[in-house]
Amino acid sequence: MNDPDVVIVGAGADGPATAWKLAHDHGVDVLLLEGGPWHGNEQWPKPHADSGGTVSTDPDDLDGKLLDEQFTHREADANDPTYGYLRVGPADHSRAPWFRNLHQNAFIWQVGAVGGTSLHYFANHPRGYPTAFNDQPHWPFDYEELVPYYQLNEELTSTQQAPMTGKEEVFIEGATNAGYDLIETKNVTETGWRPQANAVEVPGRETSNGQPLDADYEGSFSYDDGFRGDTLVGDHFQGSSTPVDAPVRDKARKSSNVGYVPRALDTNESSEQGNVALRPNAYVTDIETKEGAGTLEATGVTFRDSWSGQSQTVDSDTVVLAGGCIETPRLWLNAGLPDDGWVGKGLTTHWFDWIVGVYDDETVADINPEGEHMDPYVGQNSAVRFEKPGIGGMEDIGMSPGLVSYADYLFSQAGYSFDTEVDPDEPWDTRGYVVGEELKRRMSNYKQTKALLILTDDLPRQNNGVSLDTTFSDEHGAVPNVKWEPHPDDDAKRDELSRIAANIHKEAGAEHVHRCDWPPLLLHMQSSMRMGEVLDSNAEAKNVNRLFVADHSALANGVGGPNPTNSGQALALRTADKIADIYF
Amino acid sequence: MNERTDPSTTRRGVMKGIGGLAALSMSGATIAEAEDVLNDSVPSDPHTLDTYRSIVDAIVPRTPQLESELGPEHVPGGLDVELEKFLVWDFNHFQEIRAEMVTEKGLLDGPSDAEMPLEMFESVLDLTNLGGLFGPDSPLDAVLNLADLDLLGLDLGLDDDALEEALTFGPVERYDISFADDVASSSGPAAFELLVETANETTHEVVQNYPYAPAFTLVFDIVAAEFIARGENEDAIKRDRSKFPAGGTFVQLSPEDRLRCLWTIVDGGVIDRLDDLLSPLVPDVGILKYVVMAVNGLHGFGYYTEWSGLGETKTNTPTERSLSTPAGEVQSRKQSGYPGPADGYAANWRHAVEGGFADPDAEDLNLPSDLKGDDVIEGIGGGT
Repeated sequence: MNDPDVVIVGAGADGPATAWKLAHDHGVDVLLLEGGPWHGNEQWPKPHADSGGTVSTDPDDLDGKLLDEQFTHREADANDPTYGYLRVGPADHSRAPWFRNLHQNAFIWQVGAVGGTSLHYFANHPRGYPTAFNDQPHWPFDYEELVPYYQLNEELTSTQQAPMTGKEEVFIEGATNAGYDLIETKNVTETGWRPQANAVEVPGRETSNGQPLDADYEGSFSYDDGFRGDTLVGDHFQGSSTPVDAPVRDKARKSSNVGYVPRALDTNESSEQGNVALRPNAYVTDIETKEGAGTLEATGVTFRDSWSGQSQTVDSDTVVLAGGCIETPRLWLNAGLPDDGWVGKGLTTHWFDWIVGVYDDETVADINPEGEHMDPYVGQNSAVRFEKPGIGGMEDIGMSPGLVSYADYLFSQAGYSFDTEVDPDEPWDTRGYVVGEELKRRMSNYKQTKALLILTDDLPRQNNGVSLDTTFSDEHGAVPNVKWEPHPDDDAKRDELSRIAANIHKEAGAEHVHRCDWPPLLLHMQSSMRMGEVLDSNAEAKNVNRLFVADHSALANGVGGPNPTNSGQALALRTADKIADIYF
Repeated sequence: MNERTDPSTTRRGVMKGIGGLAALSMSGATIAEAEDVLNDSVPSDPHTLDTYRSIVDAIVPRTPQLESELGPEHVPGGLDVELEKFLVWDFNHFQEIRAEMVTEKGLLDGPSDAEMPLEMFESVLDLTNLGGLFGPDSPLDAVLNLADLDLLGLDLGLDDDALEEALTFGPVERYDISFADDVASSSGPAAFELLVETANETTHEVVQNYPYAPAFTLVFDIVAAEFIARGENEDAIKRDRSKFPAGGTFVQLSPEDRLRCLWTIVDGGVIDRLDDLLSPLVPDVGILKYVVMAVNGLHGFGYYTEWSGLGETKTNTPTERSLSTPAGEVQSRKQSGYPGPADGYAANWRHAVEGGFADPDAEDLNLPSDLKGDDVIEGIGGGT
């Protein structure tokens, strides 16, 4: 892989999809460079302690049992932003994470590894709202053009409607009582609720004893014993390598290391298709260019091995940036490429909020006669959602308790609930941080608590985004400086959705509703290198030929509020076709 | 207080410029001991630990009052599982400083765009001989010395005497952060030397990464002093510090006032007002709002996860941690009822849409023509 046709920078959610399409459909040779580690690959048996191999091209290197060993399903092990195996930082865990300068009460939640942030996602795969594509003047093509790519992505990632378990039944009760209708389409243009579209296989597609997976099931959940499909564990933020013992490609949740990386490596076994090589621990520090006819042209990249510290330059015919909404503009700016004012700007994040409902046992038992508790760790993390195109949406979520304590009670911009007044006209009972005895009381109700995540249709604004920091640098140059603040319109939309969420909780019979009033949580990041501004309609840089962006930063907005993975991957698949059409 | 406290290794003059490990060896410590110091994750001075203990106690306190209502498992709090060590470890592993990116100020043409001045990371707060002939008159005076300021030059908008009266760093007499190696001629992750002296003991640490944990606690004392000087505390201050004896002004506040005080960093203009005073103590004052987010949030990543089950390994390097208590049986999990990770769950489920979503081909899509633009926000105000 010394002479790739295309170098892709970043093997997160979108890079592997781009690589697969280029190699599988167009016979293009691809080198994927990933700054973080690779889990579940025999070349790196101890990815956080030992440098391991250099590059992997063989699908047989993938090892699902090794992945089970590395993804312990434990919360702090996985999610701690400083030491967890799902953090942004060098693979070597004796070192600190990569620093981003953030002068805000805010949190950036990403994962730097093969699979990227899709390693800890809930696998929610709704399509963007058609309205968000069609009505934006800078978005260069119609929603309908993306639909075939959505369909392809949904097929490859097993995207389907999520299963309803106890907590979802409670949501449905509330939404129905509040007067909302069931939506039965993937192309959402109206307000209502619907099952989540997610990239997780059907629960118990095959079980070990041939019996259905329901409350009476007493068989094994091991792949080796014959279990296939989803196992109904809500541990997706810990990596979710279930069913245990399954090969990587047969894990139920199709994060991109499961849904795309094995397929991409499979192309090496066909003489008709291109080759794909993936090198982890390779952090790209520069984009090589030459002066073309009146414009710049990308000729390759320079990367730094995060274990050895050695740098190397790779030449290629085209370069694709897929490092995500922070690293892609940071690399662009550190490489000194032209900036007409929108590089790194226009970052959107779905201006989240989190509305928590606590229920008593009787209320839940009335709704779920067969269940005793809501048990937020049972079932998929998020299996039902609410849509309101033009405003945003929300999704019903259950998680393990460390995450719940953080998200429900320890992350706020409202101050401490003991000092925070609640407007009696608002439909929530408390607001802000919950601490002390009250925190312990609330957490004692963990098994009857669930939250609704608000996903606001925040619009791209030039003063939000990523720039080069003027204070700190690391081994890759100036660190990213990140800033995101809501516009009053975003606040108004979020308030409306929060009221709807509280109302749904109350209509379902919640005994207590709490509004966290989150500060910015930069998780669903989009649009920091947007098409129509930095990129043209093919996602090629307007100012640099042969340089493409194939990650969520190429989206022109937050696709209206729906979770962005499906849209980002669908767009990346389209971009792969465009690259091949233009240059190969 | 700390078994690794070793006065023989505190002579910074010997250490400086030679390299931490080699210097420790020369100072009489064995290489094994030196590595122990270098690798130990949470050797910490008492002021730092007690300050974080006071925050842990405010957010996850012991609650004996819950025993009769919820059961005895709800009594212990964060201090019972040493959660303060979790906070210290995370802050001290928060940012790696690369030696090759650090430069002596004034060399050649000064720092390039990517280089960081050495002085940004080195700081000495000297409180020895308070009121003496050559020492500062007060802790505030020492902070002013460090910032190269005088009170007249500060416009804090409050009674300076009240600030002076309120500020104490408890038993801390000297706080000194410096590079352990000659960064001008080295590369890779830089190690820092941290020296905290009190009247009767000295804590010396050599740590990889910038030692933010102790720096933040000094900041919290200064912010607390301003909080008190402004009269923003709602409860009486306790000067005896009996619960957290090594703390400073911050621990004198009631549990709720400690949190109100931290909140003034986010929502009280503190960073702007105290920028001059705080700048010499942390490389970038701007991150303090993020730090307040983390101070609160880390209780979720620590206390309410399985972290306390890691036993003696809980502050080792991450690859050397192992559970001694099963993930579902740690203190906080008994309080939440979470059984810990499982391979799967037998549970009833159904599909809400029989047969799945309708999805015509793109050319057959018949979307409504009256779609609203993304700038349309009608319905705001609680309607549906």
